[in-house]
Amino acid sequence: MTDAIVFSEVSFAYGPDAPEVLRRTSLSIPEGAFVLVTGATGAGKSTFLRCINGLVPHFSGGVWSGEVAVAGSSTIEHAPRGLAAQVAYVSQDPDASFVLDRVEDELAYAMENLAVPPHAMRRRVEETLDLLALAPLRDRSVRSLSGGERQRVAIASALTAGARILVLDEPTSQLDPQGAEDVLAALKRLVDDLAFTVIVAEHRLERVTAFADLAVGAFSSGRFEIGDVAGIVEQLGGGPPVTRLGRRLGWTPLPLTVREARARVGRVNGVTGSREVEIARHFGSPVVAMTGVSARYARDEVLHDVTLTIDERVTALIGRNGAGKTTLLRCLAGLHDPASGRIAMASSGASPRTGTDVAFSPQDPGDILYAETVAAEVAATLDARGASTEELDKWLDAAGLESKRDIHPRDLSAGERSLLAIVAIAATAARILALDEPTRGLDPESKDRLCELLDTMAREGHAIVVATHDVELVAEMADHVVMLAAGEVVAQGPPRAILSGSPVFSPQMARISDGRWLTLDEATTALGSS
Amino acid sequence: MHPAAWLVWAVAAGGIAMLTTNPFYLLPLASMAAFVHAACRVPGPGARSFRIFALFGVFALITRTALVAVTPYAIGFDSVVLAAAEGLRLAVLLIVFGTFNSVSDPFKLLKLAPRRWHEPALVVALALSIAPRTIDAVEKVRGAQKMRGIEVLRWRSLPALAVPVLSTGMENALTLAASMDARGHGSGPRTRYRPDVWDRKSIAATLVCVVAVALFTAALVRGEAGLLVSIPAEWPPVDPLLLLACVALALPGLLSPTRT
Repeated sequence: MTDAIVFSEVSFAYGPDAPEVLRRTSLSIPEGAFVLVTGATGAGKSTFLRCINGLVPHFSGGVWSGEVAVAGSSTIEHAPRGLAAQVAYVSQDPDASFVLDRVEDELAYAMENLAVPPHAMRRRVEETLDLLALAPLRDRSVRSLSGGERQRVAIASALTAGARILVLDEPTSQLDPQGAEDVLAALKRLVDDLAFTVIVAEHRLERVTAFADLAVGAFSSGRFEIGDVAGIVEQLGGGPPVTRLGRRLGWTPLPLTVREARARVGRVNGVTGSREVEIARHFGSPVVAMTGVSARYARDEVLHDVTLTIDERVTALIGRNGAGKTTLLRCLAGLHDPASGRIAMASSGASPRTGTDVAFSPQDPGDILYAETVAAEVAATLDARGASTEELDKWLDAAGLESKRDIHPRDLSAGERSLLAIVAIAATAARILALDEPTRGLDPESKDRLCELLDTMAREGHAIVVATHDVELVAEMADHVVMLAAGEVVAQGPPRAILSGSPVFSPQMARISDGRWLTLDEATTALGSS
Repeated sequence: MHPAAWLVWAVAAGGIAMLTTNPFYLLPLASMAAFVHAACRVPGPGARSFRIFALFGVFALITRTALVAVTPYAIGFDSVVLAAAEGLRLAVLLIVFGTFNSVSDPFKLLKLAPRRWHEPALVVALALSIAPRTIDAVEKVRGAQKMRGIEVLRWRSLPALAVPVLSTGMENALTLAASMDARGHGSGPRTRYRPDVWDRKSIAATLVCVVAVALFTAALVRGEAGLLVSIPAEWPPVDPLLLLACVALALPGLLSPTRT
């Protein structure tokens, strides 16, 4: 097998004084492999991916030495546009990468640039629309699509270019579990059937490990290594829940997939027993009630007759892309007026006031961060509500940003920036805190921090509502789960009842135990004591 | 409609507004532009920005008139009327531009540019898309900051609006540039995917626009009275044919309303 990509002694820093993101990296990626790039946030995964088509250093500047060869061409001699026929790249931020407006035109854009003959373009567009289930959206404006749909369009427009090396930076961050599975399976098919080379950076390892042939580990201080997935995950620590379970229980080899873990659980336990560990969940009093709420965008009804009570606890909203999760949060936060129905605070019967009763944390931290320092950012919120700055330390501490209080938000890692934005919103001390996909781009460490913060707030009497596709997060921290489908509430209840029976939304621990366990702690206790 | 037909429409409507200050032509022109916006807008940032352009137009009209009205050198009522007429013209130009933004996609126009002009045309297309995108970003940031009790339209909290809008705008521009390059933009000869076709509606609309401009130009060349508001101020005469030309610019709105 020949090598698709060869890094030779590559060192790179964004500036003469900046730390090296890559340090004397030499590795090669074979043709026809599905490669997972993994490592903590800020370890340089995105930079590594951008080296492959020459965006680094051509678009980043910085100090570069060494060489990357892609399909035999050097990225120093060829600008990214010269490599477009060999490498397709999907950035982390699909919204900002769209050039044209209509879905179909966006798909054809790269082919137009590469002078693909018109009849071939038409055929490839149709095939790709089918491959990623985008055909019903072909005439829509990309700006009118939901987050998950946009992500699929971004992937599709990279696929059409005809490049045989695909580089994707967190391609499933906004997709529901089934959507993510479909996209990854489609990519895997390109690898298996057509010998494409696919390189994917992803935080939610539970989604990718079953597909990946190889992994590139981004270790600290600029070290990158390629190896089999198990080896890299073992060296890096972390990994999907099944791997972490295996590490806790000292299993060798470490399981990477549900299938491997199931086999192991069976062996440890004989037949899995009925041992069930209930974790103490807290329940609070009702905070806000939605009664018969319907909402539309243009003429489409996005929410239909939703009746829901939200209590002082962590409520998770789950459901596939476009089910109405974000709209429900926007209605709750007063950002979108429902077409009918009412939303009333339990205490006063009035609708919740934006910014005092309810606060909504934006998906993109860039929408609110403006201060010169981390501390000033949170202080701005406290100042606006006239709270004393004594609270400041409490909030910084809760986000784990105490030690970074004087640095510029720009210099935080992506995970820390998200946490800062969430805390800047949470500091309004609004009774209801709404979060939309808060773990997008968060590494496991920041994710744990977020869980702690939300849990504390819920115990202090806040109603936390989280819309998310991250079922592992839901299993770890939700007290109550509401499942939406096509704008309606189809099920609600405690996480065990909703998640454990679901083929799509069940977390890994439920999968290895036929729904007996939800969290890592439950599984560890159950297995450890046998 | 063909994107070039929209360009012709905008140039015609704008051109006519440049040739006259007669409110009997300008007001119908503004109404027709608003009608076309309502009928043909493409949902998105462009359509949302129409309102802002219209507000700017009204603002221009008021300030232009007020400035002359309060200036100590004012030569009385006549000059105020003249200023108001010119202000109205400015307002109509802004409304026409707003309509153009809301009905057309600058990137579709870009596809029409000959290959040699692709680069400059791209710059123009990007520049045209900046206003709607910025207006969108302002709305988004305003909503987000309101969540934490910061009302960004106050002078003191201006940084809370300006910093996120400018910095994300900058980042987005860089991401877009990288995305275009990574997808082979400017790498050599191009082909066109499903080029827009000149259908009968587009041809009809374009012909009407050309005739409308020709009528006004002919009137100008003839030195016909009533094109410009003159001193002493009185109601200017109206040429029914020219009035009809202004009204005819509503044609695209009737021919190809947005399917919903």
